[in-house]
Amino acid sequence: MSAPAAQATTGARRPDRPRKPPPSIGGLVGLVAFAVITAWAAIGVEFTLAPLITNLTRGSDVIWYYLHPNWEILTRPAVAEGFLETLYIAIIASLIGCILALGLSMLASKVSAPNSAVYQVSKIVLSLIRSLPDIAYGLLFVAFVQTGALPGILALIVFNIGVVAKLTPESIDAVDRGPIEAVEAAGATRFQRARFAIFPQVAPNYLSYCFYVFELNLRASMVLGFVGAGGIGEVINLLMTRLDHSSVSAVVVALFVVVFVLDQASRTVRRRLT
Amino acid sequence: MTATQTRTGSSTVRPKPPSKLRPTLVVVITGAIALAALLAVDARWERFPQIFTEAPAYIALMADGVFQNPFTMPWSEYWTKTFGYMFESVQMAWMGTVIGALLSFPLSFLAASNVAPRWVVLPVRQVLNVIRALPEIVLAIAFMIPIFGLGALAGTMALGIGSIGTLGKLSSEAIEGIDTGPVEALSATGANKAQVLRWAVVPQVLPEIVAFWLYRFEINIRASAILGIVGAGGIGSILGQLFNGRMWDRIGITLVVIIGVTVIVDQISAAVRRRIISGSARPSVEASSGPVEAA
Repeated sequence: MSAPAAQATTGARRPDRPRKPPPSIGGLVGLVAFAVITAWAAIGVEFTLAPLITNLTRGSDVIWYYLHPNWEILTRPAVAEGFLETLYIAIIASLIGCILALGLSMLASKVSAPNSAVYQVSKIVLSLIRSLPDIAYGLLFVAFVQTGALPGILALIVFNIGVVAKLTPESIDAVDRGPIEAVEAAGATRFQRARFAIFPQVAPNYLSYCFYVFELNLRASMVLGFVGAGGIGEVINLLMTRLDHSSVSAVVVALFVVVFVLDQASRTVRRRLT
Repeated sequence: MTATQTRTGSSTVRPKPPSKLRPTLVVVITGAIALAALLAVDARWERFPQIFTEAPAYIALMADGVFQNPFTMPWSEYWTKTFGYMFESVQMAWMGTVIGALLSFPLSFLAASNVAPRWVVLPVRQVLNVIRALPEIVLAIAFMIPIFGLGALAGTMALGIGSIGTLGKLSSEAIEGIDTGPVEALSATGANKAQVLRWAVVPQVLPEIVAFWLYRFEINIRASAILGIVGAGGIGSILGQLFNGRMWDRIGITLVVIIGVTVIVDQISAAVRRRIISGSARPSVEASSGPVEAA
């Protein structure tokens, strides 16, 4: 009897706050795991910020070159050709990669795959394709067909299939089943089902992924040039080996502008699509 | 009215199909651009069939290396070395993500138009845009290697700075999409700006932002493999050497290790991400049951 009364008096003086929930075990385990992995990684990469202070003078020469770009390099025909080659590689690889990826996407979604065995196998194949970095494909294709634009195009096609065929099946999974039932009731073949019931629904998303991949390709082309797979990256690699930092800087700034302009253009198109 | 209805009803005229002019134009223009690119590029297509003659031989050589007994020399050494480099890539990716997360977290609030004033939001967004337009490999060769020297630390910093761009953008969009109810509730109780952020904004967006961090970690693992090609540490540094030396058996081992580790880390990260996103619903359930108990 007296206990509730005592509670009531304390309640009157200071309203009871709700008790804090106890810390969750999952959260604690997560925090410990985070700390352990971070320590392991920090030791592994010998993480230190000391060079920021001590070596800034060493880096400052190079940074000075970067801040004073040698714009004349951009007028050289080799540089202009490198830029054009990057653009051509990106266009061809995006187009072929996206067309191939559309077919693979249809096989890698439960909604459109002919049976679950095909669906499972395509899923696994696509995740294997995706787990190799673009540079590995560049090196492989350079070994297969020698240096030039061709290995670059082939490497990017494979890379594009990885990206687009990851995103599109997720969109296909989310389509409205109504149109599918309708075309099935009308006796459509498997191809007609994909063409008239599924594709129109995912087309805006799919096209938007294709433009996204085009943007990625312009950047990737730079990396591929480092292994001899064509494009502006080859020019940058050559200038780097000559330690001609101010020319590298000018080319990088130009690449930056090109990527930025095409990004904006592609983003406006993508916004209109979705 | 009734007359027109009966007329259309009785006739078997199909509805007129919508104009196909626009889609046709788009296809024609895309085809023309692609054709122009195909004609202009000097790709030496005659080499394309080499894939079918060369690749099987090389793949056989790679498989040869992979299917040797991994517990005998020199194969055991190759596997150990390769795993060592791959773990360095994972470490670079993790530290890069941690750095990116730490730096992007405050920036994402400054880039959210419902939290920061307009004159802060616009410049911060531009900074994020610039970072996103620069590939990690440029950050590595242009800034990080001169300062941090060749090695994993330079690559880590390149990944860290590169991560700020995407993380800041995605996180600030999550912050802009919050429910304004809790914010109003706190403001009504007289909370100051910092308290509103701490108790109304952060709890709402944190699960989503942590999911972005994990997503970026997966991207960074792939990116860290690339950085080795310019000497910034990780698995890429041996990849280039092996291809120059045409050591196909070891290339096979390396590719298998990259695929294996990447797939496993992706699976773990995706599982954790799913838990974080679905787990975020739990506190709100408890909160709704709270008042019922009190009443």
